[in-house]
Amino acid sequence: MTQLDRLAERVDAARAATEARGETFYQGPSRSHLAMFPPKERWDDWVELDSKAWPQRVEKRFMLVPTTCFNCESACGLLAYVDKDTLQVRKFEGNPESPGSRGRNCAKGPAVQNQITDPDRILHPMRRVGERGAGQWERISWDEALDELALRIRAAITTDRHNEVMYHVGRPGEDGFTERVLAAWGVDGHNSHTNVCSSGGRTGFQFWCGIDRPSPDHANARTILLISSHLETGHYFNPHAQRIIDAKHAGAKVIVMDVRLSNTATHATEWLAPYPGTEPAILLSIVRQIVRDGAYDREYVRRWWNWQQYLAAEHPDRPRTFEAFEEVLRDLYAEYTFEMASAESGVSVAQIRAVHDAVVEAGPRLAVHSWRSAAAGNEGGWQVSRTLFMLCALMGAIAVPGGTYPNAWNKFVARPIHLPHHPAAWNELTYPLEYPIAQNELSFLLPHFVEEGRGILDVYFTRVYNPVWTNPDGFSWIEMLTDHRKVGLHAALTPTWNETAYFADLVLPMGLSSERHDITSYEQYDAQWIAFRQPVLRAARERLGETITDTRQVNPGEVWEENEFWIELSWRIDPDGSLGIRQYFESKARPGEKLGVDEYYGWMFENSVPGLPETAAAEGMTPLEYMRRYGSFEIQKGIGPLHESTVDPAQYATDKRVDEFGRVYSRDPAPAAQNLAPTGAPDPDAEGRRPVGVEIDGEVKRGFPTPSGLLEFYSRTLVDWGWGEHAIPTYIRSHVHPSRMEEGQVPLISTFRLVTQIHTRSANSKWLDELSHSNPLWIHPTHAATLGVITGDLVRVETELGYFVVKAWVTEGIRPGVVACSHHMGRWRLAGHDHTHRLNSTTVALERDGSRWTMRPEQAHGPFESSDPDTSRIWWTDVGVHQNMTFGVHPDPVSGMHCWHQAVRVVRAQDGDRAGDVHVDTDRSRAVYREWLGRTRNARIVSPNGERRPRWLIRPLKPTADAFRIDGPVGRRA
Amino acid sequence: MSGAPRSGLLRALAAVADGPDAVTPALVAALGLPRAPTAAEHTDLLTFQLHPYASVHLGPEGMLGGEARDRVAGFLRALDVVPPAEPDHLVALLHALADLSDLAAAGAPRADHAATVLLHEHLGAWVGRFLARVLELGAEPLRAWAVLLADVLAAELAARGAPEVLPPALREAPPLSEPEDVSAADWTAELLAPVRTGLVLARADLARAARQLELGARVGERAFTLRALLDQDAAAVLGWLAGEARRQAEDLGMVERTGGVGVAGWWRLRLAGTAERLDALAAVAAARWVEA
Repeated sequence: MTQLDRLAERVDAARAATEARGETFYQGPSRSHLAMFPPKERWDDWVELDSKAWPQRVEKRFMLVPTTCFNCESACGLLAYVDKDTLQVRKFEGNPESPGSRGRNCAKGPAVQNQITDPDRILHPMRRVGERGAGQWERISWDEALDELALRIRAAITTDRHNEVMYHVGRPGEDGFTERVLAAWGVDGHNSHTNVCSSGGRTGFQFWCGIDRPSPDHANARTILLISSHLETGHYFNPHAQRIIDAKHAGAKVIVMDVRLSNTATHATEWLAPYPGTEPAILLSIVRQIVRDGAYDREYVRRWWNWQQYLAAEHPDRPRTFEAFEEVLRDLYAEYTFEMASAESGVSVAQIRAVHDAVVEAGPRLAVHSWRSAAAGNEGGWQVSRTLFMLCALMGAIAVPGGTYPNAWNKFVARPIHLPHHPAAWNELTYPLEYPIAQNELSFLLPHFVEEGRGILDVYFTRVYNPVWTNPDGFSWIEMLTDHRKVGLHAALTPTWNETAYFADLVLPMGLSSERHDITSYEQYDAQWIAFRQPVLRAARERLGETITDTRQVNPGEVWEENEFWIELSWRIDPDGSLGIRQYFESKARPGEKLGVDEYYGWMFENSVPGLPETAAAEGMTPLEYMRRYGSFEIQKGIGPLHESTVDPAQYATDKRVDEFGRVYSRDPAPAAQNLAPTGAPDPDAEGRRPVGVEIDGEVKRGFPTPSGLLEFYSRTLVDWGWGEHAIPTYIRSHVHPSRMEEGQVPLISTFRLVTQIHTRSANSKWLDELSHSNPLWIHPTHAATLGVITGDLVRVETELGYFVVKAWVTEGIRPGVVACSHHMGRWRLAGHDHTHRLNSTTVALERDGSRWTMRPEQAHGPFESSDPDTSRIWWTDVGVHQNMTFGVHPDPVSGMHCWHQAVRVVRAQDGDRAGDVHVDTDRSRAVYREWLGRTRNARIVSPNGERRPRWLIRPLKPTADAFRIDGPVGRRA
Repeated sequence: MSGAPRSGLLRALAAVADGPDAVTPALVAALGLPRAPTAAEHTDLLTFQLHPYASVHLGPEGMLGGEARDRVAGFLRALDVVPPAEPDHLVALLHALADLSDLAAAGAPRADHAATVLLHEHLGAWVGRFLARVLELGAEPLRAWAVLLADVLAAELAARGAPEVLPPALREAPPLSEPEDVSAADWTAELLAPVRTGLVLARADLARAARQLELGARVGERAFTLRALLDQDAAAVLGWLAGEARRQAEDLGMVERTGGVGVAGWWRLRLAGTAERLDALAAVAAARWVEA
């Protein structure tokens, strides 16, 4: 044995001994350079040189505490660097233990440091003292705020006005937490922002597979097909982007359809810039070619599509054979030639063919995604994701490596300590009869519904949500929020001042990423994991031996975290338990006492997360200690095709029935679900048997959570609820299709955002503000030439409600004849207000003349004195324009999604116009609302069973069966 | 823990190059290093002075990425291995070699040959030049690490043998361009590309040149600093570089140990050619200066 061999043996032995102690011996090559992290065994005492002491080498000692980012939905892992001398957070970096983000963050992660030290953040509860919107506030105690809210909510509940209480959420926190709070109150008052966000995209996926989000396995894909870049540069930017790059390194093709040359498009193998809304025509032309060539996975289609149901309904004269279906399929999309798609979209035949070739080459390793943009921009946009997913359904690229999974299989929602019943009354302000199959709440129509007298809001919570700024038609929101007859009490639960909070009665400070508890789990690869957002200073001080029972003890000022807030509020609504509410907020360990967050999460981790107790025990910790220590836990990797799993015969032993299309029903009870991730919930059969699975080639398989248990090429739901013309994936011409535009109009794209921005909270992140702070109008040089404008010139963009004035940015990065304006900018504060956010916002004056509103910038953005010396160094003045104010509401009649794209005229600015000017007539916004309402098909007319909505569709707080009846209870005053 | 006899050792040596925080006390003890390098020593050597990437040493641009990196990535893809983000980093290459050694020990059919190719083409072609400079510029524990790494690679090479052809990156390496054929900035950059000149020039070398020539060393990237030196006294700087090429040519022992057949000879010839060429250019520059 040579000396080197002996050395090699010694190294191997040392490694074994070190790793046996649970310590790191050496890290893998993926951790070289920028991706390198402090080893977890050093998280109690991490030493770095103090950058402020440079050039002296002064050591700083930190405690590293994990949490998760709250600045988009993807919940990337963060490590807070807690200074051991001051117990203050000094910075945030990535958490290497996070399986989704793998230690990497986008710019929004480190910017949490700006948010928690923002000189203008809200630190104490505030109550309005003047008129709503007048900007006068007084500091109050939490007790006062809680009592005021509890009194009103209790009164609403005890007088059967449950649904006059509404909670309107922007950035979601913990899956299902607040829904359960509302359910405990008996309130169907959950209102989300989803219909201005992702409803269109979700609808298309849901009609196929009963699950409304895709989980593309980018890293293992051969071809990645993205409809728009929005998601990959804005939403799940980091976890998906890093896996897309992994795939590119492995030789994958990346195809991006986007009107703009987005960040993602710059990385694409093929960038297609179709005319907005024509994406389904392109996708269907690819479908047509694949079908004609027989290049699809024939066996997969035969086994998993509901082709028999389609033939029975639409071609009853044909033999019910797969060959007959294939024949029909070949003819169905005959009109969608590459040439037709090219003429419709403006994309060349050669490029469409190249995309087709890449799809065929990919086979089952085809990862696709569509979220906002095209699906959120166009009337009929829900068919974008539906036609996109059709490619996966054809290629057998569903729930296989490199393919696209239904998200519920790559997500885990743990069962909580208490699970209240569903509410007994239907809220018509969120799910009105005109939209029986809308994917989510018709949230952005709320001012119009209230205006029409459909109901009032006695207590209205906006929670990390800013509808005045985020939603279209913001002046209608201001009109509603300032009218006491419509909104009795408006409480804004928010970490930061915003355009909606200005019009609130109570402003209640809520914690940021490092100041609140949440459990999150998102689809980012083929696995199930949970991540724990936690108040990091609470965890740090507990490591030092302190006992913290209320997060306000460690948060700045009186900033609270939500779970403790909702528990406390619920106790005050029902102090003696007589309303049946308090039971859901009581300790199990100490009956009759208040539930604390340690018990809430401790119980969940101990009882509802498979594998976590064992893993924690191996390190000598409780599950809660483990999660506070590492911040995340991967439950299972490689979930695979769950639809193919064979159902245990014990589940259909009693009174089994198989319908003519193979759906298997039984009277045996369903096994208790471990994972509460939302999916469709197919109805029982007419005799009340439970759907168990679907019979395929003689075997009972789990299948998909659709009525048929199969992938639904043909949607019986759409037929039954009045939209039979869209029963199969089709192309719907958008409201901005050339055939529907007037002379001189062009489409305006407002659905994109910048990778360094957080919807409505960037303004309080100085680093992000400095990176990007204005939203000029993207305009192609040929278009600009016809107007005679160059970059920096002011233009007026005229919409159906009014106009806004913005600077032009002349660029070849956009399709000619289309203009675009990022939705992030144009933050404003009202002149004369003492309490506002000053970073990245313009001081404006609002003027109202009847239904005519004008917003005029009064003072440009600039440097100001504050507790943060950086605010005196602000060098930029242009912070963009609030364009959404000028957009009418465009609810898609099927999905309910607001169709964001606008038909506009772009003209040169007029004398006196200033950048940021906005003018709107809200009478016009009401007319636009009525026009789009006229496109709907009311459940009173189309419902096949006298109910308001198909029960199987996903819906938060799904009310009881009685409430589904059209004449069922609505929970508000007559 | 099973695998090839030295795969664990290769990974441990990789960890030292990975970063100061990867060098655990257990690892230092196991390798028998005198002590762990401090963060400052590690950063100074492997971030500021030398760059442990195949692409920096073998690419005609002397920079990260490009064809030299693609060559490594392509090699890994051909083996059905997804290349890491920086496939040509020394850490990644040592891990790849360890992985292939393990696979070969397990009887995987192509692994043994692949390990030999990796060792010869993607490591042996440059790592000796890099390690020689570590011995000159590094702190004590990093020097010890360099010696140990050279020992291990030499043993691997001896055990596997090497093809009797030059690695492609050396076979295809372009020489230094004529100054009049490219811009001044590009030519300066070429002077810093090891595969064009044979020279591995660190910031410390340029600082030494400035001191010895009594010129002002402007702080910045190496290209900026070198350009500033040339602007001050091109003849002197070119002459100094020629001398440096001859000096570095005398120290090719590490290349002889870790490179395959002909590799050390190739670097010797390139350095000699560079010295001759730079001397000639220095003479021309001096004449121009006299005329001016």
